[in-house]
Amino acid sequence: MSDISTPALGPTFTAGFWKENPVLRLLLGMCPTLAVTAALKPALTMGCCVIFVLTCSNIVVSLMRNLLKPHLRILMFTLTIATFVTIADLILKAFAADMSAALGPYVPLIIVNCIIICRAEACASKNGLVVSVIDALGMGLGFTMTLCVLAGIREVLSTGKLMEVSVMPSAFVPWAAMGMPVGAFITLGLMLGLVNIIAKKTS
Amino acid sequence: MSKVKFFIEQSWLLIVAALLFGVLLAGAQTGLNPRIKANEEKKLSDSMKMLITDANHFELVAEDVEIPTGKKVVLSDVYRGVTQSGDIAGYAFIAEGAGFADKIRLVIATDVGFTRYMGYKVMFSNETPGFGDKVKNDFYSQQYVGAPIQRLELAKAGDNLVIDQRIVAISGATVSSDAVIKIFNTFGRKIKSQLQAQGVIQ
Repeated sequence: MSDISTPALGPTFTAGFWKENPVLRLLLGMCPTLAVTAALKPALTMGCCVIFVLTCSNIVVSLMRNLLKPHLRILMFTLTIATFVTIADLILKAFAADMSAALGPYVPLIIVNCIIICRAEACASKNGLVVSVIDALGMGLGFTMTLCVLAGIREVLSTGKLMEVSVMPSAFVPWAAMGMPVGAFITLGLMLGLVNIIAKKTS
Repeated sequence: MSKVKFFIEQSWLLIVAALLFGVLLAGAQTGLNPRIKANEEKKLSDSMKMLITDANHFELVAEDVEIPTGKKVVLSDVYRGVTQSGDIAGYAFIAEGAGFADKIRLVIATDVGFTRYMGYKVMFSNETPGFGDKVKNDFYSQQYVGAPIQRLELAKAGDNLVIDQRIVAISGATVSSDAVIKIFNTFGRKIKSQLQAQGVIQ
């Protein structure tokens, strides 16, 4: 559990946006990706919660990485993540009660979001504090960006609005299905296909 | 002794972390709880105003009314909606029961005579999005507006616009639909009889 070599900060930060994007390349965090992307606001809120939890858990795991025993590490990761998810849930209930109600069980479910435990295991438990924070911010922002793109497409097509502001011509007929689960699967599938095509052409 | 030493060696980090995280959570809970409580009270007040539209303000008329729900007893608060002129506009009470995924907590409103329901609002639920959470939708909830305070029954098919003791279930969410009916059946008549016993209503 000690440092092997210190990765460069730039590539570590940008990895989450494209090369190792948690949703589009690693297919992690599918539950919130499909569930909270009917509109941009809840998607953005979920992204912020994940950034908060990921950063805090990466900091704690990185600080205690030299003390971790191999057979206890998953338990320690889960304990750490659960603590920060509970705090994020409380903050949301206190300062954005309506959004907390709208997101329902998906905020507590961040505890089982594979992105968080994946970064704790793959990065924070092997690297120093700075690299772990940069990795958390990069991965969190990559996740949030993907959620926002997916939610933006769905919200515009299902309501003709973006953040409750009309963005489509008055003749536009909303596609109700895009606001339903089927819309999430179709949009995500098309996004994954597009990313695969781009990745193949650029590799 | 060596077993104790081995145990401490293996688990000290876990114990220390659990204690520290516990303190952190207690601090967060203590700091944020007043604001969370205020949000909940505002939500309750707004929900009651939406149900009893004539009410200008609400008064607590019975606190911690004990309602037996199978194995345990649930405490419910009953509020009276009062109009600007001082007349009673209706009653509202908190009720809860087991849903499909988690408990469902409702605020249920009744008319002045406690003979008919004026509807309900969901205060808390973790029902499945797209299915069970449709208990918040008008299609389902409007069936309770004007329904008699009698034993309600779940109907798998029927006309949801007919207001009587038969409540048409949400397609694909029979358990959640049934859970709401059970909450009404558990609380409605028991609250009424307790308020009658206390002399709050006739």
